[in-house]
Amino acid sequence: MKTDSHFFSKYRRPQSSLASAADSYAVTQFLFAEADLLDSWRFADWLTLLSPDVRYWSPARENRLMKDLEKEISPPGTSAHFDEDFDMLRQRVARIDTNKAWAESPPSRSRHLISNVRVFNHSGERPDVYEADCCFHVYRSSGERSQDSVFGRRIDLLQRDSSEYGFKILERTVVFDMATILVKNLSLIY
Amino acid sequence: MPAINPVASYIDVQSGRISGEIFHSREIYELELERVFARSWVFIAHETMLPKPGSFMQNYVGEDPILVVRQPDGSIRAFLNQCQHRGMRLCRADLGEAKNFMCSFHGWNYNLAGKLINVPHGDATFAPEDLADVKLREMRVTNYKGFIFGNWDETAPSFEEYMGDFAWYFDCFIDRYPGGMEVVGTHKWVLPCNWKFNVEQPTSDAYHAETSHMSAFDVMLPRNPDGTLQDWAAKQVEILGDVKGGQFSSPFGHGAGWFDDGIPVLTRSIFDWKVRTDGDVAERLGPNRVNPFAHANLFPNFMMLGNYTFRVTHPRGPNEMEIWSWSMAPVAAPPEVKEAIRVDLLRSFSGAGMLEQDDAVNWEEEQSVLRGFMARKERLNYRQFRNQARYDRNCYPGKTVPHVYSEQAARDMYQHYTELMSGLPWPELVKIKAERVVQERRACENTAADGVKA
Repeated sequence: MKTDSHFFSKYRRPQSSLASAADSYAVTQFLFAEADLLDSWRFADWLTLLSPDVRYWSPARENRLMKDLEKEISPPGTSAHFDEDFDMLRQRVARIDTNKAWAESPPSRSRHLISNVRVFNHSGERPDVYEADCCFHVYRSSGERSQDSVFGRRIDLLQRDSSEYGFKILERTVVFDMATILVKNLSLIY
Repeated sequence: MPAINPVASYIDVQSGRISGEIFHSREIYELELERVFARSWVFIAHETMLPKPGSFMQNYVGEDPILVVRQPDGSIRAFLNQCQHRGMRLCRADLGEAKNFMCSFHGWNYNLAGKLINVPHGDATFAPEDLADVKLREMRVTNYKGFIFGNWDETAPSFEEYMGDFAWYFDCFIDRYPGGMEVVGTHKWVLPCNWKFNVEQPTSDAYHAETSHMSAFDVMLPRNPDGTLQDWAAKQVEILGDVKGGQFSSPFGHGAGWFDDGIPVLTRSIFDWKVRTDGDVAERLGPNRVNPFAHANLFPNFMMLGNYTFRVTHPRGPNEMEIWSWSMAPVAAPPEVKEAIRVDLLRSFSGAGMLEQDDAVNWEEEQSVLRGFMARKERLNYRQFRNQARYDRNCYPGKTVPHVYSEQAARDMYQHYTELMSGLPWPELVKIKAERVVQERRACENTAADGVKA
């Protein structure tokens, strides 16, 4: 198996680079607080968690032969669900605020469950930057009877700062565990 | 000739009334697979998706999985992706490269041309004649400017005849620049609604955009610091607001619509490149196709938008569709424009796209209401711009109405759909259509041109 060539292999970090218990705790609580903002429809507050240079990227996936495993996740510059900078994310939030974004008006009820959190010291030895690797389950109920779930893995680059929440998101990579997206849309923030 | 047309009582094209039963009924759905999908020209690949000999991809015609393969001689062939032994899905990857295809059940092996070349223990356990001439079921294919379409029905008209006047409109989407198109992004997702919703809309419905998508237009266009739209962005809003334009419909169910001033563009670099190359496009396509048309659908399920979205809508039961959407860019576009098209479309017309999401919810609710008995009995209003169609008006070939908001193309799409669902064989359908066009043209000539609402 060419698992070493798979997309996720570049995110493998030695256990020795795990952040300290205190730093891991702080980062984990940041991720939980962020999930709470998203599920409480406090999107303007959520925007304050982002670095102005944030990159928010979610590559698409395909069913590939084992020999082509490295192509299973689309590389940068190709198929993606999200490929956003700060201004683009701000537009998504502003759209919801128009009250005319029918996908979320009436609003859905969402729950971001964040698990398997591992926090690593930055591989480039920036002492104030952490790599947070987690899994997510985003449940959504909308309208009278519609409900769906998406699962995936998220890899964040977070920088410590003096704001209320303690960190800024520099980079987020969202990898859904689906090739064909088996829900009606991706109208939430993941 | 089949005795019963299962949809005829639900569709009245003349009066523009349709009952939602056609979006709900399982019986109708099963017949659609046979009478619509197994007899129509369906988009199965673009040649750039199959770059070299042995390149393959999967697609679907209706619910039937199709394996499309680039041959050693460079040609493209398409097969039912089903092993002849137990009916197993032969190829299970979305795309890739192969020398041959081995079934993962009993190991039957087929070459790129679909011929059975090896059967484990075949010599000892099968008589030679019991394996003779085993090959994958192959479909007719045609290549129109790089777009590959397949058809199961040997009696169906040629692709050129099937397209008819639609070719002139199709070219405005795919042949604006020399060198053809290339894929810059792919998205697949499912929606809980009938496949025809995403046929009707690109065929005939620019009308929904300003309501369905108002939030996206509100926020996606860039503004000056004082909150006003930037000059180029204000032009895009004007396009949407000025409804001058038209709509084409075809006797074979295709449709297209356009704003005279082009399609609203959400990304400046795409708009600037378009303006920069208007002269070249005018030279290539003539002055009337300089501006991209807004929307079109090649019946049954190949949708395109003037922003370079191309997609097929696969039926998945009466209550579900599966969209396979490709963002394509002209090969001639500079790299930064190709990148802009890729990003623009994933942000607007993918499953996460800010325009697409809202269609999804509207269609989901439309479908769920049709669970109701009374809801399915309603004769829904498809009457916009009735009795205004003319032939060969101004520069526009075929049957058109002089307004961008019209349901004429939907009515003509459902006319074709009803004819297909009758089960009449293609040669008879072609004759019926030819006679109807003659009658319609005669009726148009008898109507004074100044009677047309311009």
